[in-house]
Amino acid sequence: MFLYYCDLAWRSIKKTPMLSMLMVLAISIGIGITITTLNVYKTMSYNPAGDRSDSINSIQLWSQGLDTWDDFQSNITYTDTINLRNNNELALKAASFRTGLAMQSDNQDIEPVLKSIRITDRDFFSIFEVPFLYGERWSKTVDSQPAYQVVIGEKLNQTFFDGQNSVGKTIYLNRKPYQVVGVIKEWNPQPKYYDPLNGAFNDAEEVFIPFSLTEQEEFDVWGNTSGWKFEPMLTYQDRLNSEKTWIQFWALLPTAADKQQLQTWLAQYVEQQRSFGRFTDTAKTPQESFQISDVALWLENNDVVPRDNKILVGLSVLFLSVCLVNILGLLLTKFLKRAPEVGVRRAIGASRGQIFSQYMVEVGLIGFIGGIVGLLWAWGALTVLHAEFNVDPSVTGLDTSMWIITPLIAISTAVLAGVYPAWVVCRTKPSVYLKAQ
Amino acid sequence: MLHIKPILSSLMRSKSGPVLLLLQIILSVAIVANASFIIHERLTMMQRDSGLMEEQVLSFNVYNFDPAIDNIQQNVIDQQILRGLPNVIDASSTNMMPLSGSGWMDRYVDSADEDTAKSMPGFALYLGNEHLLNVMGAKLIEGRNFRPEEINTQLDQSGMVAMVSKPLAEEFWGDESPVGKIMYQGAQTIEIIGVIEKLQGAWVNHENFEYSVIQNIDFGGGLKNKTYMVRALPEHIPALEEAIVKAFHAENPNRVIDGFSSLLDMKKESYSNHRLMATLLSMMVILLLLITALGLTGMVMFNIQRRTKQIGTRRALGAKKRDIVNFFMVENYMICLAGGVIGGLLSLQLGQQLMSLYSLPMLPMTYPIAAIAGLLIVTTLAVIFPALKAAKISPAMATRSV
Repeated sequence: MFLYYCDLAWRSIKKTPMLSMLMVLAISIGIGITITTLNVYKTMSYNPAGDRSDSINSIQLWSQGLDTWDDFQSNITYTDTINLRNNNELALKAASFRTGLAMQSDNQDIEPVLKSIRITDRDFFSIFEVPFLYGERWSKTVDSQPAYQVVIGEKLNQTFFDGQNSVGKTIYLNRKPYQVVGVIKEWNPQPKYYDPLNGAFNDAEEVFIPFSLTEQEEFDVWGNTSGWKFEPMLTYQDRLNSEKTWIQFWALLPTAADKQQLQTWLAQYVEQQRSFGRFTDTAKTPQESFQISDVALWLENNDVVPRDNKILVGLSVLFLSVCLVNILGLLLTKFLKRAPEVGVRRAIGASRGQIFSQYMVEVGLIGFIGGIVGLLWAWGALTVLHAEFNVDPSVTGLDTSMWIITPLIAISTAVLAGVYPAWVVCRTKPSVYLKAQ
Repeated sequence: MLHIKPILSSLMRSKSGPVLLLLQIILSVAIVANASFIIHERLTMMQRDSGLMEEQVLSFNVYNFDPAIDNIQQNVIDQQILRGLPNVIDASSTNMMPLSGSGWMDRYVDSADEDTAKSMPGFALYLGNEHLLNVMGAKLIEGRNFRPEEINTQLDQSGMVAMVSKPLAEEFWGDESPVGKIMYQGAQTIEIIGVIEKLQGAWVNHENFEYSVIQNIDFGGGLKNKTYMVRALPEHIPALEEAIVKAFHAENPNRVIDGFSSLLDMKKESYSNHRLMATLLSMMVILLLLITALGLTGMVMFNIQRRTKQIGTRRALGAKKRDIVNFFMVENYMICLAGGVIGGLLSLQLGQQLMSLYSLPMLPMTYPIAAIAGLLIVTTLAVIFPALKAAKISPAMATRSV
């Protein structure tokens, strides 16, 4: 029966080609626009931490003075970082910031390259589950006793060591020798959730070196340094001693008890620091002076999804509803035109249900075709976005879920638009039309 | 006259069609009004003049990684190399690029006394030498530029002087000339010696985008990673990139030279999100009007078919062709106006939502009104052709089949 209805629907669509094309056009444009914005929104709001989102937490501190910043800063100060690193209650924890250094190897044929570098602790690799290809992360002692060791990415390993196991070999960063202890597999979470502050869709760094080297190597900070009061910053030591914020701090808190424990510790910590003359904003209680954000909250607070995008999704849904109303009108028109035919079919024994389902199949078919055309529109639009507006490729790739979502939205839109017209037409009284003929 | 009453009663008899049309117009007005307001806002933003010679300014980064390099000395040599290259009009070191999305911001106070000092608004802080103004092509409208002997190399030296942008001066000192005023940062004093007509900061979305200060520090010496700005005619720029890399590497190979970008490209990149938003919303508005128009045409055509007899009868009873066209037009305008008014109110409500959720500015009344006007034009076009066709129905058509 379904196939027969499909056949009838196809004939009916062919009988009024202009009207049918108009409907397919309307629904496909509506779908095209909605899917385009939805796709961008979906990829941007993706949480790469998955089910570990709750366990991975970043720590923010209200270290600013009274009446300065209105919000928690994403970064914390060096002083607080060091104290948190020394908190032995935390099993897995990592400080992290970005710098840039010129990279060379013993192979003189390869031009030196300026690489973006992540400076962090050993636990970073466990917290974010970074997969290793060769070797492993540096040992626990390196976090307290600085050593010139480095973890590099697969691609760099290809460039500098022809993809061989390079563990134990040397690379030079700003002409200083670093020993390779590990090579990680291709790892590029999008959004770059461990540091979305300077471009949430930038590529992940490919070089990792121990945070413990910061003090002696005085790495430039390739990220935001923010201050709420005037502090001269002439030497690197000034930076380390200052109240300026520039380091992110991560901790793995798998259970609620872990979180509770950290909260207690932080409250005590703030009180202790107050006695040293820090954390001078007394309008905040110690309990209010810290924030532990899991990945979901962190991504939201750092505006990973731009507000423009949310506006676009909202407007495109409205747009789709205009298309829906439009199609509703057209379907009503079309079905009423066929009322005499329905009258005859009813007279020779078709039930209301049969008429209704016949028309719903037709509507569904229109929605399906519209959905496919709409997907093509969306694909075209995303390609243009990528080519013309430098929108990041990770955002403009058509998400696989869209292959299911699109026909779903398209058919349900069409069905929603078709219910009323189909209902009207199946209520046709056969007698009226039989008489007229 | 317009015969509103019979039209209204015919509308009332078959409600579903007009109701749908009404709904569509309400939604369209709400979307079009808000979208065009956002489009206009973005276009205005993108049209802000930077006041600089955007297409003539080329910037790039140099990263000296050899610990043996004396950065202060190297900076002087490098700038001499740049100015000596053929086709280079001028060159300077800088700590940041305008419109680039990354840079420095600071705020100074107007007095040494911490208790009474008033804080200036936050501004973009440029550090450069006497060449910087000429390289950017910025216009000095009051006071003077730095003198070569005034240039410092470090942030903590004494003898700081500065040029400020006019919008910043007007914001903080009003009509008073800022030249000769002293700004304070901690114990340090900075004297204002000049006013620049226009100089924007790094972030196009920042509220203090037009507030800038240039200070007399040749900062290229302070860091391993330096930015240089070179001014040259656009046709010379591509060849210049190669020449710069060659000349710099010839001087000392232990550095990475990259990040070549013209100011024009930086500006384009910085505004690309706004360009994108404006383009997408314009497409939306155009498609929406198109769909509304096509849908309306389809419905009117159907109505005419259904009313063939009625129209024929009216013609037979003496109605002019014009009366028939009028009938459809008035019907359309009635629906449009009703939908427009409700849609206008809805769009204001939507604007309110956007304002509170995404801190967009308040939607001015002109936009809903313009949207209704636009819709009236579009629907007129959509209705007039089928209506003219309807007017051609001959009275005989109607009488024949009765």
